[in-house]
Amino acid sequence: MPSILADDLRIDSAMTLNQVKAGCDVRIRLLSGPSCDRLRDLGFCEQLMLRKISGGRNLVCSICGTRMAISRELAEQVLVSPVG
Amino acid sequence: MSTASDAPTTIALIGNPNAGKTTLFNALTGANQHVGNYAGVTVSVKSGEAFSAHGNKLKVLDLPGCYSLRANSPDEKVALDALNGQLPNQPKPDLVVCVVDASSLERHLQLTLQVIELGIPCVLALNMVDVAERTGLRLDPVKLSEELGIPVVPMQANAKKGIIELKQAIRFPLPAAPHAHWATDPDHAENSRRAFITRLCELAARRPDAHQQTLSDKLDSVLLHPVFGWVAFLGIMFTVFWSIFSFASIPMDAIDGALGSLGEWVGSKMAEGDLRSLIVDGVIAGIGGTLVFLPQIVLLFLFIGLLESSGYMSRAAYLMDGVMSVAGLSGKSFLPLFSSAACAIPGVMATRTIDSAKERLVTIFVAPWISCSARLPVYFLLIPLILPKEGGAWQQALILFGIYLLGIVTAFIVARVLRGRLGPDKSINHFLLELPPYRLPQWSYIFRHVFERAWAFVAKAGTIILGLSILLWALGTYPKSDSEDAGEQLAHSAMGRIGNVIEPVVKPLGFDGRIGTAILTSFAAREVFNSTLSVIFNVESDDEEAAESLLREKVSAATWPDGKPLFTPLVIVSLLVFYIYALQCLPTSAVVAREAGSLKWAVGQFLFMTGFAYVAALIVYQAGKLFGF
Repeated sequence: MPSILADDLRIDSAMTLNQVKAGCDVRIRLLSGPSCDRLRDLGFCEQLMLRKISGGRNLVCSICGTRMAISRELAEQVLVSPVG
Repeated sequence: MSTASDAPTTIALIGNPNAGKTTLFNALTGANQHVGNYAGVTVSVKSGEAFSAHGNKLKVLDLPGCYSLRANSPDEKVALDALNGQLPNQPKPDLVVCVVDASSLERHLQLTLQVIELGIPCVLALNMVDVAERTGLRLDPVKLSEELGIPVVPMQANAKKGIIELKQAIRFPLPAAPHAHWATDPDHAENSRRAFITRLCELAARRPDAHQQTLSDKLDSVLLHPVFGWVAFLGIMFTVFWSIFSFASIPMDAIDGALGSLGEWVGSKMAEGDLRSLIVDGVIAGIGGTLVFLPQIVLLFLFIGLLESSGYMSRAAYLMDGVMSVAGLSGKSFLPLFSSAACAIPGVMATRTIDSAKERLVTIFVAPWISCSARLPVYFLLIPLILPKEGGAWQQALILFGIYLLGIVTAFIVARVLRGRLGPDKSINHFLLELPPYRLPQWSYIFRHVFERAWAFVAKAGTIILGLSILLWALGTYPKSDSEDAGEQLAHSAMGRIGNVIEPVVKPLGFDGRIGTAILTSFAAREVFNSTLSVIFNVESDDEEAAESLLREKVSAATWPDGKPLFTPLVIVSLLVFYIYALQCLPTSAVVAREAGSLKWAVGQFLFMTGFAYVAALIVYQAGKLFGF
């Protein structure tokens, strides 16, 4: 399973949510880090689409029709790949 | 009938924050609700009564909003305890109503699945279907119900649509506990839940386009903008404060006048004596001193309610996160500190929304440093005394601004130091906030909220202030002297003697025994300072404005026994500094003890703030003297 994921990530050129430009739509590839459970509770799950609305100290993104503000440290744990 | 005993069936409302639980709770229970706070628990569970469609009595519990049953935060712990029947005085719920926001089912169904896995009978309230349909989401409640194995009721709680259907779904006998057929592998519970939700949403909640530009998005592009967002934020905050100070004065004058007339009327009906003095000077004057701030508190809560209910408050917390981090706090501390500008009591109570226990304690600790409305009477008496002549409104405003700034800056510095000393939290608390869509305010909810808070203020602050007013009255009245002169009587009384005793303590700050007495009496509530000075300097006038200017005249004419003026500008600045920093508010201490869960914290805060105020005033006076002021 991990090797498949690693392949996936390489193919999709995954980046963290912090690295995404504001206004871009992305798909969540993997959550990795100590706060994964918390993120999952809030709806950040693999395969879901989200749009980053603004960056900065905390970033705002729209996920499943809800806007969430999360800290940079949390966004660091969300690996995403661009859509389209 | 399923219940053999007379006890009503208990149903619990559970759901993510902003799913509409409280709206549904209010729609179900009407005005028939009561709020219960559990000592030592940071959040409250509301309970109320309702009737099912068949007339059976239901007890409805409104659990705090939570994202999962993992019990990460105090709210989630309370919700889990409530579901397991482990809360004191609350029975285990017979049925759980999972409230979900239909427009973000992918996120909200997580919690529902966890509740179903607990094995409690369950009904799904599919709230805000109007919002979901407006965004083009195609919902299939029947399919949802079939797949989940529980009744699903589409509804719109804020318009009271679907309430009857929900009550019909809570029929007797209660629906059987559903089978969590997706939970086949306990080791991968999370994954199987996720897979099931994805499949379920594809079947029963199809999204045409996940990202449409809604009105909220357009508003956010301005209100969360790095430049315009701040302009809007400052504009809103300025409007709130300006309105509180300008509109509250009308009802405040009315309350003041009404209590004055009540005092006169009671005075005229009673024979002269101690009882009359107790009722007029002790009880009515004491309660009046508290009630007079009610309009400001009501207005502040009205604005906070408006900002919260419209969805702006979380944006304010988001914007302020960077500023608050200077003090080692997060954006979530902004609302409590903002509320403290009206009164520290609601401010301390508002800290319940902060996840981190240590951040919460620090916020509680520094909240009283934000100058509250009770300090204003003292400031307004003293500030004109520093200025050479009457007038100069902008100079007064500037000094007042400086006073507020000094309080805020000190609060930030102390918070920073204290946060460092408390050490990091056991679990890291990242900044995490849901920004709900902008909505029109729900007036019924706001009015109820304002009324609840106002009543809490009157009841709690009122009882403590009443007791203290009676005590202070007794200290100022006994033992009695033969003199008719009120000033001499005060000097002879226990309070006057205490003043003499404490003069050596306050002399290094530039104060004499009379100011010392006024400070001492105002330890229970700051605004008592003015009334004590009126008694000490024997100011009596029916007209309040005349009384105030007369008091100011007498105060500026007061001298030490050797003829030197007592209230020099330096002494006044020293006194102002003392009032900015000292925690002279017993009701606040009482609330801090309750909210922090320990008397030690409240006592520590009181001693620290008083000590800090003393040292600060001492430094100001002694340094000022050194520089020849």
